[in-house]
Amino acid sequence: MAVRVAPDPASTIVSRGRFSSWLATVDHKRIGIMYILTSLFFFVAGGIIALLMRSQLARPNEHVFTRDTYDQMFTMHGTTMIFLVVVPVFAGLANYLVPLMIGARDMAFPRLNALSYWFYLLGGIVLYASWFSGGGAARAGWYSYPPLSEHAFEPGKGQDLWILAIHLTTISSILGAINFIVTIHNLRAPGMSWMRLPLFVWSIYVYSVLILIALTELAGALTLLLLDRKAGTHFFLPSKGGSAVLYQHMFWFFGHPEVYIMVLPAFGILSEVIPVFSRKPIFGYKAIAFSTVAIGFYSMLVWAHHMFSVGLPTALNIFFMLSSMTIAVPTGIKIFNWIATTWRGNVILDTAMLFALGAVGVFTIGGLSGIFLAAFPFDWQVTDTYFVVAHMHYVLFGGSAFALFAAFYYWWPKMFGRFLDERLGKVNFWLYFIGINLTFFPQHFLGLLGMPRRVWTYNHHGWWAAWNLVSTIGAFVMAFGTLVFLINVVRTTRVGRRAGHDPWVADTLEWYTTSPPPAYNFDKVPYVTSARPLRDLRRRLQEGSVHA
Amino acid sequence: MGHQGLARLAPRRRNATPGKIVRRTGALVFVALLGLVLAHVALAGDPAGLSPRGPDSPQAAKIEGIYWLLIAITGGIFVLVEGALILFVFRFRNRGRSRTLEGPEIHGATRLELIWTAIPVVILAAIVAFVLVKLPGINSADSAKAAGPPLIVKVEGRQFYWNFLYPNGVIQVERMRVPANRDVKLLINSEDVDHSWWIPALQGKFDAIPGKTNHLWFRADRRGTFEGQCGEFCGYEHPHMVAAVQAVPSSDFQSWYDREARAQASGTSDLGKMTFDGACATCHGFHAQGAFGPDLRGNPILQQPAAIKTLLQNGRNKMPAVGKGWSSRQMNALLAYVKRFAGSSGGG
Repeated sequence: MAVRVAPDPASTIVSRGRFSSWLATVDHKRIGIMYILTSLFFFVAGGIIALLMRSQLARPNEHVFTRDTYDQMFTMHGTTMIFLVVVPVFAGLANYLVPLMIGARDMAFPRLNALSYWFYLLGGIVLYASWFSGGGAARAGWYSYPPLSEHAFEPGKGQDLWILAIHLTTISSILGAINFIVTIHNLRAPGMSWMRLPLFVWSIYVYSVLILIALTELAGALTLLLLDRKAGTHFFLPSKGGSAVLYQHMFWFFGHPEVYIMVLPAFGILSEVIPVFSRKPIFGYKAIAFSTVAIGFYSMLVWAHHMFSVGLPTALNIFFMLSSMTIAVPTGIKIFNWIATTWRGNVILDTAMLFALGAVGVFTIGGLSGIFLAAFPFDWQVTDTYFVVAHMHYVLFGGSAFALFAAFYYWWPKMFGRFLDERLGKVNFWLYFIGINLTFFPQHFLGLLGMPRRVWTYNHHGWWAAWNLVSTIGAFVMAFGTLVFLINVVRTTRVGRRAGHDPWVADTLEWYTTSPPPAYNFDKVPYVTSARPLRDLRRRLQEGSVHA
Repeated sequence: MGHQGLARLAPRRRNATPGKIVRRTGALVFVALLGLVLAHVALAGDPAGLSPRGPDSPQAAKIEGIYWLLIAITGGIFVLVEGALILFVFRFRNRGRSRTLEGPEIHGATRLELIWTAIPVVILAAIVAFVLVKLPGINSADSAKAAGPPLIVKVEGRQFYWNFLYPNGVIQVERMRVPANRDVKLLINSEDVDHSWWIPALQGKFDAIPGKTNHLWFRADRRGTFEGQCGEFCGYEHPHMVAAVQAVPSSDFQSWYDREARAQASGTSDLGKMTFDGACATCHGFHAQGAFGPDLRGNPILQQPAAIKTLLQNGRNKMPAVGKGWSSRQMNALLAYVKRFAGSSGGG
């Protein structure tokens, strides 16, 4: 029978209440679920802000919001989606899945794990509370370039609270990253060598290393900015001998690895979902694993492609063009391998697979527009315009969010024991697929027409206004998609079809245990003989060689 | 219970879902909406944004050359990748086969991996080579074809207008007048926060950063007015920080240039109005009637030049220090101009 581990004496005191047991939990699965639900909440909040912005931009000279409110909204939208949604939702998924996928009982440091969740929640609360501070929320954009973010130009408390909120989420991410690295190094099941590690776990490993390097550096940059604002230093104040460009270097040295922090786990999800629904092994396991590491490495060498118009020496521009072009190669390798995985497969188009294939298709557009931005003379034309807005949303919504929804539809049965509804799921997918292309494709044209980003209004008619209107319509189509997803979630908790241990006939260890898994995860972990341990077990069972 | 999970490993066939209906409805809605909106403006005849604006300078033309090369290459890659994806998914879709039926055990192919690593490297190298060939002509003037020595203009970005300083002392605001078919070199910097100088039809954008001077070359191919706006978020009036370059025939330029220098030196130019319209009207309105900023008509401060000067040089609350670093010529011109608003009260 099940192995009952003696409960921790501290936890029995508070675990009596249903609510308090969640507050005090150190179970990686519960922490993972709290992460995911919290980030879904912020996803809806950031999405509503985006809808309000698109309403303001639907027509020329619109007056839905004041310029001041609009500036706060785009700052909060970007900050929310990056620091409170995409990075933590992957931390949540990884929290839930990594121990299960590697056959561990929990994360290496369960209490540290809980601490990192609570830091994240606190960061989110601080950021949203800053709407109500004197002068409102921060309004200098998610990268908050000085001198605009310095006290002289932005005296409100919002900017300080913004720095505090980022510091809190940064601490959360760094603690989580240390935990993932230690867990993946030390708690793998017997037989699970690095080349048998699920590709999602590979991506979380690189994600964690990048967090350790990039977010610590960001914390340094923001501390200098805070000192400038509060302690009268002038690191970034050119009028007093500081350098405004220094901040840009420091920010983007974090900012570009951050892009891959947000995209690599999505790639990991695709590498799990596509083979299962193609009924084939992943094509080129090693190529995908090594390209993940290569992308992680190159991501630290490309930061100044965000700064081509700053006026760097030509030799530096050429270097950053080369390194940015180079990073397209391992990314392309991944795309080719995913497509090759479907070749001669038995492709099952369930919602999870639709989202995964959609992610490949839509991310490709974002990848290709990235080549335009790497060619720096052309970047001079479109940097800081809606072309860049289109590019990064194709990458972050098309890549990360689509993969995330693939993950929700795929792992929801494991987490909650019930399937999300497939019919609603497909409506969800098609609304998203149509919506993202309607919203963001015309933004390429807007950028070429000369529409800078971060404008609260424009005074142009004709195509300029038309593309904006199309974009706004697309945003509302996506909003309906989100609504369908939320209905699906609520409906599933009541009438969702129950899932067994392994409803998708999958390959990895999380499907070996019950859905949802018990607190201790596994009674016994099988010896891992390949990257697809569950399939090995199924075959041995068929051959009658498993000793029950 | 060592084989927990194994009892339920057999999959269950689930109902097929009406993906097709959703897809068709979605496509219909998509086409209908797009058609409606686009038809509405199709007759307007202005650029749709399918390529960069212009090009009206050799520099912009070279940048557009890079754009078209990239469109051709990425368009080809797009068709191949998305084509393969759709083809494979369509060709190998389930089609009523058992959900557990497995495809062949193909774990990869080293030769294929090498091929699809090498081909992108070659393509990207070709793009880089093309960019490097075009680069010299974008980065600096093509001096062989220049008609006369370059005009050098100092461009100052400020919250929320552009100030242009010419070598002979002429000051212009928001609208830069240049000779057509002659090289122009801009020295771009900022007095407050980061801005970005951008006239899409003439050149790419270059940031105006305090404490740093950036250079940019262009040569307008034809006479005309080329518009643009600030490309780096600089605060609440960022969308209204507009700029225009007016290219006029060389002889017209020279006579204007000399006339304007004399007029500004003697205080008879419209520099005051130009400065008010560029620096003040964004918030206070062209007739000082107030908009985002307060109504200035009849404001007693307009009677006190010293007080206005202090205010312009230091800013107050939301008002940026728009006049910080102005030459006395520009300051005096503005002070003379705003006197006209001193008497006319807002009537409310």
